[in-house]
Amino acid sequence: MEFLYFLAKTGFYATALVTLGSAVLVVTLRNLFHCALALILCLLGVAATYLYLKAEFLAMIQILLYIGAIMTLLIFAIMLTNRLADQSVSQTNRQSLPAFALLAVFNVFCIASLTAVPWKINPASLTAPIDAKILGAHLMGTYVFPFEIISVVLIIALVGAVILGRTDQ
Amino acid sequence: MFGWGIFKGMLVTLWNFLLTYFYPKKGIFTVQYPEKKIPVAQRYRNFPFLVYDGTPHMIRCVACKICEAECPPKCIYIVPEKDPEGKVLKKPAVFDIDYAICMNCGICEEVCPFDSIYMDHEYELSKYQRTEDLMAHKEELLKPWEHFAKIRPLDFERIEAKRAAKNAKAKPAAPAESSAQKPGPGLIPPRQGQEK
Amino acid sequence: MTEFLDQIFIIAKNGALNFLGVFLPDWMILLARILISVVTLVAIAPVVMMYMTWLERKVLGRIQNRYGPNRVGIFGLLQPIADGIKMLTKEDLVPKNADKVIHFIAPMVIVIAPLLVLAVLPFGRNLIAADLNVGLLFFLGVSTFGVIALFMGSWSSKNKYSLLGGMRAFAQMISYEIPMLLSVVPVILTTSSLSTVAIVEAQLQGKWFIFTPWGGFASLVFFLCGVAEVNRTPFDLPEAESEIVAGFHTEYSGMKFALFYMAEFISTFAISGLAVTLFLGGWDGPGILPSWFWFGLKTLILILIMIWFRGTLPRFRVDQLMGFAWKVFLPFTLGNIFIAALWVSLPFPGNFIADTIGITVILTLLQVFNRKEMPKKRKYLCAN
Repeated sequence: MEFLYFLAKTGFYATALVTLGSAVLVVTLRNLFHCALALILCLLGVAATYLYLKAEFLAMIQILLYIGAIMTLLIFAIMLTNRLADQSVSQTNRQSLPAFALLAVFNVFCIASLTAVPWKINPASLTAPIDAKILGAHLMGTYVFPFEIISVVLIIALVGAVILGRTDQ
Repeated sequence: MFGWGIFKGMLVTLWNFLLTYFYPKKGIFTVQYPEKKIPVAQRYRNFPFLVYDGTPHMIRCVACKICEAECPPKCIYIVPEKDPEGKVLKKPAVFDIDYAICMNCGICEEVCPFDSIYMDHEYELSKYQRTEDLMAHKEELLKPWEHFAKIRPLDFERIEAKRAAKNAKAKPAAPAESSAQKPGPGLIPPRQGQEK
Repeated sequence: MTEFLDQIFIIAKNGALNFLGVFLPDWMILLARILISVVTLVAIAPVVMMYMTWLERKVLGRIQNRYGPNRVGIFGLLQPIADGIKMLTKEDLVPKNADKVIHFIAPMVIVIAPLLVLAVLPFGRNLIAADLNVGLLFFLGVSTFGVIALFMGSWSSKNKYSLLGGMRAFAQMISYEIPMLLSVVPVILTTSSLSTVAIVEAQLQGKWFIFTPWGGFASLVFFLCGVAEVNRTPFDLPEAESEIVAGFHTEYSGMKFALFYMAEFISTFAISGLAVTLFLGGWDGPGILPSWFWFGLKTLILILIMIWFRGTLPRFRVDQLMGFAWKVFLPFTLGNIFIAALWVSLPFPGNFIADTIGITVILTLLQVFNRKEMPKKRKYLCAN
């Protein structure tokens, strides 16, 4: 049985590696479409991470919405604005190395401060049942106000898109 | 109602589907080819053949070369036979039709004055070589007069009557009875007193 | 005896695992348990696909008053094998300017999506590969993967016609996904669970969802959206033979084309299986015959209906296609959610009446608002 735990741990490290690796690929690949595909891989890795955290509903919603809707939108945008012949665009310029060094220093500070803070964890949440039903009850109950605000934001975005896309008549 | 037309259309296809199982004769019009063939009409024209009476030596063709001259794509090649002194005999020594060139127009049949070349019904002529195998020589082209009677009975009667009227001596015995046979499938039976 | 037949696959699997348990450690038995289900599914899906192509050709032939293929085996049963051999021995052309990596992996990814979703279909009582408690969402999420793989295929060919076909396919598939998801929401409302096993168990003893007012129409919408998702006629504009060369799979030949073809047919099977699970009661049926037989029979009937559509209907034009999704299906499914909510909350006679009134209202509103697009009955003016 320990072998299975070992496999699970290796799986988690592999997932993390794939996620971070494809995230790096997104910002370094030269072909725009390849970057989009690497982003899809990254989001799949995030969904796998949710699965490790026992949030199955969130993982499936991640696949359905992020990959199924948002990435298809991104791919549509690439497809409509990119010519077929436009292929390699370098994503870095000459200042990439100093920028990288600076960001590494910033990262060290961030990680140090984040791990030093004693984050309070509600012990009940560790063993609480996570179900679509309960999520729905909370969304409609405790968190109904943010839910409605998000709906309003989405409707504004939709109406704005329709207005922007309408031809002048 | 919205969608009613689609529903009716689907019932039509369902009816067609069921018809092929319960009334196959009316439902399916496929002919399973190598086992059953669609019968061809009598006047169907495919490549020509030469006629002989009795044995392959009694070839009717006299090598007059009219069909060679009249053939539009010039696919016929005739060399008349010469006896050892050089006198021209009334037989072809070489009679070649190039099936790759022949366009099945039937003009050679129409212009032959000796009733010796007619269009055959044979269409299963696949060969392995394009030039050598498609050149039909005299031996392949010779077919008996009875073959013509079998494939084109009505024309056979007409031509026999014409030949009998022309030379009362060479009336063949067997085809006289075949004029009483029924005509081929899908054809109108001859009206009385129609042919000359 | 019927109990034995019903559970025959489970008994076989447990027997195999017991046999293996003698000489293998525990964790391997766990992996073997998963592997047996997975391998069975992955092995059966292509066979199902092959005989579905046979069925389609025969049924389509009979609808068109001809025999289907009947030369290769008796009744043409070996025809799919002949087709497989033909596709395997074809030359695999990759265009010179194509994006080689994506051109290579697109057919693979597009087959993975339908194969994955077969894991959450309950083929019979206790006969499911993975009883996820978000099974339905898994199905719907992973089927959006096929859309992306399709686009990968069309983009990587670097061919204008492929790209156009791919764009149309893409637009069609994402616009039909939304009514599909929304038409499933009433089922989730009623059973308050996302697990496919729970959904089937809520429909046992003949209380199938297709017999309810919201279910009848929602199942029709789901089925039609499913037909659109797998790009079958009448929605097969992306891959029609006479449109844009061959659509998005123009540049694929040989085995890669066979993989696209396989993905389409396994998707057909998966969508039919899901429609049966959600609306037609899954494996529910009289107990004389095993439960997996009923599932197979119902799925077969839905597949035959899809083939029937293919034999009857002409293709949609692209604007009619998109208009149908956004103007007819989407408002209907949104209204259907309210109607299902009424069904759940009112007691017995009241909910039926409320539902019929609600559906009539929605359908009337749809007809009224779509009047401009609906074709009028033609009047032919003759000279005399």
